[in-house]
Amino acid sequence: MFKKVLVANRGVIAVRVVRALRDMGIWSVALYEAGDRGSLHVRLADECYELTSPLGYMDGAEILDIARRVGADAIHPGYGFLAERADFIRACEEAGIVFIGPPSEVVAGLSSKIGALERAQRAGLAVAEHSSQAFRPEDFDLLEAEAEALGFPLIIKACAGGRGRATRVVRSPKGLKKAVEQAHAEAKIVFGDDRLFLERAILPCRFIDVQLLGDRYGNLVHLGERDGSLQRYNQKLLAEAPAPNLTAEQRSQVLGMALDIARLFNFQGVGTIEFLMDREGQFYFSEIKPRIQVEHPVTEMVTRVDLVKEQIELAAGKRLTLRQEDVRVEGWAMQCRINAEDPWNNFLPSPGVLRRFRLPGGPNVRVDTYGYSGCEVPVRYDPILAKVAVWGQDRSECLNRLRRALQDFAITGLQTNLPLYQRILDEPEFIRGEYTTQLIWGSWKTRPAQSPPELLRDLAVAAAIAYVMRHRAVRPTVPERFQSGWHRSPRW
Amino acid sequence: MSRVKVTIDGQPFEIELTLLPGQNGRLKAVVNGELVEVIVPEVQGREPIEWIMVGNRPYELSFDANLRWLRAYDGLHALEIQDLEAVVTRPVSKDGRVKAPIPGLITRVMVSEGQEVVAGQPLLVLEAMKMENEILAPRSGVVQSLNATPGRGVNLGEVLVEIV
Repeated sequence: MFKKVLVANRGVIAVRVVRALRDMGIWSVALYEAGDRGSLHVRLADECYELTSPLGYMDGAEILDIARRVGADAIHPGYGFLAERADFIRACEEAGIVFIGPPSEVVAGLSSKIGALERAQRAGLAVAEHSSQAFRPEDFDLLEAEAEALGFPLIIKACAGGRGRATRVVRSPKGLKKAVEQAHAEAKIVFGDDRLFLERAILPCRFIDVQLLGDRYGNLVHLGERDGSLQRYNQKLLAEAPAPNLTAEQRSQVLGMALDIARLFNFQGVGTIEFLMDREGQFYFSEIKPRIQVEHPVTEMVTRVDLVKEQIELAAGKRLTLRQEDVRVEGWAMQCRINAEDPWNNFLPSPGVLRRFRLPGGPNVRVDTYGYSGCEVPVRYDPILAKVAVWGQDRSECLNRLRRALQDFAITGLQTNLPLYQRILDEPEFIRGEYTTQLIWGSWKTRPAQSPPELLRDLAVAAAIAYVMRHRAVRPTVPERFQSGWHRSPRW
Repeated sequence: MSRVKVTIDGQPFEIELTLLPGQNGRLKAVVNGELVEVIVPEVQGREPIEWIMVGNRPYELSFDANLRWLRAYDGLHALEIQDLEAVVTRPVSKDGRVKAPIPGLITRVMVSEGQEVVAGQPLLVLEAMKMENEILAPRSGVVQSLNATPGRGVNLGEVLVEIV
């Protein structure tokens, strides 16, 4: 087993990995950019180093250099940043440092999204109709012709894509040019590669992920599926396991397809195969995510398998001891991503300092977060602040517990999308488990909340007191620059 | 004695109350003519209260910095507060200045000075937290001043556009 592992990430996932390493008795090494030195993943680690390069967590060369210098046996990339960079993985392999993830040739094989789709298709697996060509910004005429051939609605995706970045749904030819331009620009910024491809949109659809574990000796198991259909701009907001309202045939079909695809791509370690499910219940292979995912806690809760620990052990060359017949999916789990953003103000990021940050507790409630009271939530990273995951014996107990946990979670100092879930969880489609990716666009957002009148009255009193207290506390002062004249600012 | 009109989720309430030090957090408020007993924490300074008891019902609360919404256990509620004692009331919603809600980089500007805009129309795009954020017009009107060019970095609270 490894003695020392460097964690090349920050935020929620870095905290998760540092904790796993410490649970396993492995020395953990954290990295930080200058503005991030008070961050929780740094505080919890055994050792820490500052990244001096302007590329920060993206600078593979500096990170590898630190790993070498401090004598780390392995690097855990988390998700995002360097998790799926074949060139970085190759550099690790050449340096003799284990990359906790798939080998570089597996990632290189997957990094061509079109190639992966066509390989799966040749093997007889259903995939969504797509363009067989990648398009650069200068190929717009070709892209337009291909779009006409595929038909609308369609999805623009980045060839180097992932995490929903540079992905756009286009419903008619009219919006194509603008969407393509934006997607090229975003792909260039996020992935350093502006090539795009097109896929026929399946609407409405559900997102079904299958969690896999595989060792380097060809042993492979699945840990059931998750439903990640509640998304905004292709980022999963809420995930649940198992997926609601699947028939036994549908479930065994999608799990079987996942194992076939994993074998086809020589998948190893911890990862997820993503499928789209259409109205008729047909599954289409979409992507392989050869890394730990944001949604992994729901699978951990229903299977009692520590996925990060397994991932580290598999990377160290351990044989998979878990057999398929040992995998039991028990009860129900759901997880919400709590982002520092304002859903009632066009989802603008809401960075700031967490003033009060009290986590929900009680049995079967889990919060993964890097936050604490007084913690700074910076602007420059992904807005994910916390993940609230709960378990229940069945879906209805799980849903009630999630409602309660969200009510218990007190966050002040910045705005989060937490109240958004409080509305969505009461939507009849969600309660029935009959929702698709369309739910996020539903009318719940503009519909007034159904609050009892006495509740509104009590809250109105609270607001009046807050207002009066604030104004009582304000002492009239004259700004220095106005002391010399008759200025009056009507606005401040 | 303070008199305040609070409109919460579109429902108006007129509230009279007196806040004095030494009340031990206990006070009486008159809401639309009805007397209610209230207990609040004895808070110093400008920090908004975090809990309240109205009659026998406890609530945990959080307010945004401008008292435009509050969050209670059942979710967010929109607020509009009018001071009935103040000589001039200037509801927040009339403010046509668009300030940078986050520090970031302006990547696109979709309007120009003198242009007529409608509420909700995208004005510019601000990149922050790795996301492109469309900044929308808070109200309809004419762009009186524009303090935004693509490529410029902006600080929190900087006025970018003014709509009159």
